[in-house]
Amino acid sequence: MKENVASMIVFLLLLFLNIRLLKGQSPPGKPFIFKCRSPEKETFTCWWRPGADGGLPTNYTLTYHKEGETITHECPDYKTGGPNSCYFSKKHTSIWTIYIITVNATNQMGSSVSDPRYVDVTYIVEPDPPVNLTLEVKHPEDRKPYLWVKWLPPTLVDVRSGWLTLQYEIRLKPEKAAEWETHFAGQQTQFKILSLYPGQKYLVQVRCKPDHGFWSVWSPESSIQIPNDFTMKDITVWIFVAVLSTIICLIMVWAVALKGYSMVTCIFPPVPGPKIKGFDTHLLEKGKSEELLSAFGCQDFPPTADCEDLLVEFLEVDDSEDQQLMPAHSKEHSGPGMKPTDLDPDNDSGRGSCDSPSLLSEKCEEPQANPSTFHTPEVIEQPEKPKANVTHTWDPQTISLVGKMPYLSVNGSKSSTWPLLQPGQHNTNSPYHNIADMCKLATSLDKIDKDALQSSKTTEAAGEEKATKQREVESSHSKAEQDTGWLLPKEKPPFISPKPLDYVEIHKVNKDGALSLLLKQKENGDQTGKAGTPETSKEYAKVSRVMDNNILVLVQDPGAQNVALFEESTKEAPPSPSQNQAEKDLSSFSTAPSDCRLQQGGLDYLDPACFMHSLH
Amino acid sequence: MNMSKVYKANVCKRENRKIADFLWSGVFPASITTMDSKWSRRTAGSLLLLLVSNLLLCKSTASLPICPSGAVNCQVSLRDLFDRAVILSHHIHKLSSEMFNEFDKRYTQGRGFITKAINSCHTSSLSTPEDKEQAQQIHHEDLLNMVLRVLRSWNDPLYHLVTEVRGMQEAPDAILSKAIEIEEQNRRLLEGMEKIVGQVHPGIKENEIYSVWSGLPSLQMADEDARLFAFYNLLHCLRRDSHKIDNYLKLLKCRIIYDSNC
Repeated sequence: MKENVASMIVFLLLLFLNIRLLKGQSPPGKPFIFKCRSPEKETFTCWWRPGADGGLPTNYTLTYHKEGETITHECPDYKTGGPNSCYFSKKHTSIWTIYIITVNATNQMGSSVSDPRYVDVTYIVEPDPPVNLTLEVKHPEDRKPYLWVKWLPPTLVDVRSGWLTLQYEIRLKPEKAAEWETHFAGQQTQFKILSLYPGQKYLVQVRCKPDHGFWSVWSPESSIQIPNDFTMKDITVWIFVAVLSTIICLIMVWAVALKGYSMVTCIFPPVPGPKIKGFDTHLLEKGKSEELLSAFGCQDFPPTADCEDLLVEFLEVDDSEDQQLMPAHSKEHSGPGMKPTDLDPDNDSGRGSCDSPSLLSEKCEEPQANPSTFHTPEVIEQPEKPKANVTHTWDPQTISLVGKMPYLSVNGSKSSTWPLLQPGQHNTNSPYHNIADMCKLATSLDKIDKDALQSSKTTEAAGEEKATKQREVESSHSKAEQDTGWLLPKEKPPFISPKPLDYVEIHKVNKDGALSLLLKQKENGDQTGKAGTPETSKEYAKVSRVMDNNILVLVQDPGAQNVALFEESTKEAPPSPSQNQAEKDLSSFSTAPSDCRLQQGGLDYLDPACFMHSLH
Repeated sequence: MNMSKVYKANVCKRENRKIADFLWSGVFPASITTMDSKWSRRTAGSLLLLLVSNLLLCKSTASLPICPSGAVNCQVSLRDLFDRAVILSHHIHKLSSEMFNEFDKRYTQGRGFITKAINSCHTSSLSTPEDKEQAQQIHHEDLLNMVLRVLRSWNDPLYHLVTEVRGMQEAPDAILSKAIEIEEQNRRLLEGMEKIVGQVHPGIKENEIYSVWSGLPSLQMADEDARLFAFYNLLHCLRRDSHKIDNYLKLLKCRIIYDSNC
């Protein structure tokens, strides 16, 4: 029975408990005071965190007692601080005193008490952030602009009486930057920021800390836009500079584009390549030497004795340092048969032995006309037509050239066989001018000496040329200011010029034993009576004396190896007999020279020994 | 610190005065009357030399830039005295706070000593204002005297604190150096405060009231826990009182110097 009652009671109890448990109600959990804070060391607030509420409405009460007191007080203000808080006003706050605070949680089921929290207001001071943060960009004179930051202490803090001493800290950053730049400001409520990036928008914050407390939170951001460094005046100056430089660049580009080639050639003059006038490189490539050489007007290379048509004459008009005619020169690009348009004295290219005669002949022909061929004989032929139709003989050419020469001397054209283009003078015209005159003279001469020229003998012609020359020189002695005589016999003092004399180059000897003479320019300090020493020893004969019988004795040049004893009639003597004699004399040499000739390559030379033997 | 220079200058003056008094009162008369004594002559000469050298040295240490030369009654201005006092008190509290935190972290963390350190400071008997209103209502002279009392109350405990910390097992260097520094600064602050009081209301010489500290036996207890608690309590009280002094002095400075307009 008793056992039944006992078990019954137990069962009921368990049932009761079960019911309770099934409902899920329990006493509240233990709250926890997690934070107490004083903003100005005059009041403070504590917050707690409630525990499990046990499913029932729970009532929280905060109780405390102070150090040195025994009275327990309850929280005077649950509202001001928000939910689950207790606000201690000034009346209830004592500094340098420990508060022992506890929170009770009570619900229907039970209650629980939190752990006591020992709070001394002295050490929980955490103020509000400063207020009234103002930013200003100041522009002092002669200095860079700076940012002037001003603020006020938080409203609750009593700084004026010295109850709390605050220290401040500000931080700023450009809007897009990631990190803040922090500055400690001490106890002052203003600050200067000097290092600023112009044109940026800055964000600034400030916070404060009491002398022995905690830092406040950062104040809300204040922003300011830093103006750009550039003033309007600077911008306009830079725009102007940019536009000006662009215009200059465009002008330079345009100039270069238009005259690029000429400028380049001005800076880097083209290096002339070697080119022989009349030399067709294509022919050379093909390997047809005959055609190539024929272009020169040379029939054979090396030139043979039959090279009748090769007329090489050198006109030497010795004079002062004035302009010289250089008909042989031509630019390489003028091509064969072309009249030289530019007389380049230094242009040796393409000038071979064949050039000069052709050019001379061309000039003689027609300065203004376009010489079509390089075949000098043809060109020269024209003025000579009335006299002799020897297009490929050198006689008329020589005559004409001879004619030219005295003319040149007469006119004082100061032109030499190789006309040197004097700068700044009418050089280009002069050769032509002179050539024209020369041609006229040649024609006149031809007329005069028609009879003499009738002789087809080269020797006669050779002698004749000298004679004509001398005659011409005599006739126009009055004008012969400049000395051009190159073969002046001793008997003709008037023709002896103080200047160096012309030389005769024995160019070749044809099969008849006639000498083809080249008039060679030579300026030399030779005395009169002698022909000037030839400059190239090999090719020239020097007139050593004139013999009684109108014979010019040619001796070998000191350096030369050949000497040609050449008989020539002087001008007084009737041309024909002298010529005949000269021819006779020469004819006797016909064989000899051939022997002698072979001793030398290239041009034909007359071995002096041969002649000497012959003569004696 | 400037206060140390002032202290040294005072020391110099005192010592030199003593030497001079000794010379004039004792040795010289004897030497003058009885010149036959070579020893006395030599003594007088050496003392004179010592005096002169001390004066020269004192001059160098006492060359404080605060007194313009030529001033008749050269005294450090009240403003400078207060500035220096505030600097000292601020420094002392900062050291005390650090010392307490270090000690607590190292020895007594989580042991709830705070619960026992309730109302156990020896300066509790000194009726000091407990909040701002009370502090602002007290006359500044009384407040100054209160500061002096608290400072004097701590002379002895600080001295023993240094001794006992040095004797602790594994004497923590940080705590020991701070204790030494606090003790020295406290002495200087006391001197400065005495000067301030002498300037603020001269003539009044109050009884030197202070609280006697009797916690020395506790510091020397054999029981480690009890000893630790004694240290804890001492450091706790030191932290609080140094804060009080600092606060009062700042109040006084703003009130006296800046007319409550800091």
